[in-house]
Amino acid sequence: MKRRFFTFCALAATALSVPAAALASEPTLPASPAAAEPKSWYRPRHLVLQTGGGLGMVAVGAGYTYLNDKVETDILLGYVPKKFAGSTLTLASAKLLYSPFTVRLSDQWQVKPVSVGAYLSYTHGTLNDEERGQYTKDYYWFSSDTRYGPLAGGRVTYVRPTKGNGRPRTVSLYYDLSSNDLYLHSYLTNTKGLSISQILVLGLGVKVDF
Amino acid sequence: MSRGFRFRTPSSLLLLTAALALGSCDKLEFSPNDYRAPAEERALTEKNLGRLQQMPLPVGQDTLRFIFTGDSQRFYDEVDDLVASANQQPGISFFVVAGDISDFGFAKEMRWINEKLRQLKVPYVTVIGNHDSVGNGREAYKEIFGPLNYSFIYGDTKFIMVDTNGREYNFDGQVPNMPWLNRELSNLGGARRQVVISHVPPQDADFDPALQAPYAQALRETKSLVFQMNGHRHSSSITQPYKDGVWYVNADAFSERQYMVVSVWGDKQFRVKQIKF
Repeated sequence: MKRRFFTFCALAATALSVPAAALASEPTLPASPAAAEPKSWYRPRHLVLQTGGGLGMVAVGAGYTYLNDKVETDILLGYVPKKFAGSTLTLASAKLLYSPFTVRLSDQWQVKPVSVGAYLSYTHGTLNDEERGQYTKDYYWFSSDTRYGPLAGGRVTYVRPTKGNGRPRTVSLYYDLSSNDLYLHSYLTNTKGLSISQILVLGLGVKVDF
Repeated sequence: MSRGFRFRTPSSLLLLTAALALGSCDKLEFSPNDYRAPAEERALTEKNLGRLQQMPLPVGQDTLRFIFTGDSQRFYDEVDDLVASANQQPGISFFVVAGDISDFGFAKEMRWINEKLRQLKVPYVTVIGNHDSVGNGREAYKEIFGPLNYSFIYGDTKFIMVDTNGREYNFDGQVPNMPWLNRELSNLGGARRQVVISHVPPQDADFDPALQAPYAQALRETKSLVFQMNGHRHSSSITQPYKDGVWYVNADAFSERQYMVVSVWGDKQFRVKQIKF
């Protein structure tokens, strides 16, 4: 269990370091009023509030965008109350998303019709969670706490008037459909007995640039 | 671009999103451990036992016949054929799954199995398995099915369903709950004979070693016991491991594509027929 947690941390750290590297390679800061207030590379570009998606009843987080806003990484902290899962769960998650297209409907409205990506989450607070010596090695081949899986979705963005510092101030509503490793494993070993729709999980959220 | 267009498109997209959300509340999963489910998919043990009591054996019929199966555990491809075959069997009163309904202890898996098993003509009952106990599985099992230890009487027979997944409690000496089991065994409640059903058999390494002897002894001393039934091993057998006159019946998993039609009558007579599907 410990080893899995370290793997998770290492992966999360890698996910976080990607935007840092991308931003660090930007040669110049924009010649706008923002120059007066330089962006630090570690400052998150947006805040996130999400429900569902297997990442919490409520999950809050922050994220980075890079590669011309096409790629983003979000780090989320989620919460599930005891009455919905048997124990109070805290979930630490990382999402990586690639959105190749932005459709500008007007000055204020944009749509990113397709986002694809993956997530990784670690759940703290599960009940029967492998005490030392409880099982022989590989008694259960899966982790009860670490989940990962693909996701795909889209979003609608409202562009608010730019503030003096030139930073984009957008508000996006997004959805994503995802599945986790164990649901996928269930489906892939039972393509006759289960349908794709049974293993899909919906997530809904708001993303605010700031 | 007209103002109308500007607003209509995003609004319709928002409406679409809202419709998607409302139509998929069930998909809005907080965690794989999230066990929320519609009312008809909760407390299934109580509901199935309720159905069973609505269809009592005809007066004067002594023979009770039921289907006994083992672990359904991520064998979804096999369930439809199993249900079709079981529905062909004449004179069946109910259907038993001897634990490991799920593989990962998720409510969703239990609901996937229920979606198929509810196509059975007869009600089905379950007992909790070790895989149903992983993570928050026990809580999910309680929500979707019901109590971990329970009993019911049907066709002059008392069925005692008991959690024997000792390893899942790190062998704390409490599982199986011997005081509860002894109370149940000592009270026939008007029935003529009794049957104990659990997931892990007592001679298995996943049964609490400290309780193996007391468990076997309790069964040996129960004169009205027809047999003890298990799953877990994915392999069918009818043996007397303790050579003490107590029969232990182990079912195949769904993956073995074989189930048992069990008939009991008289004081403790029984016959088991293996059916391939």
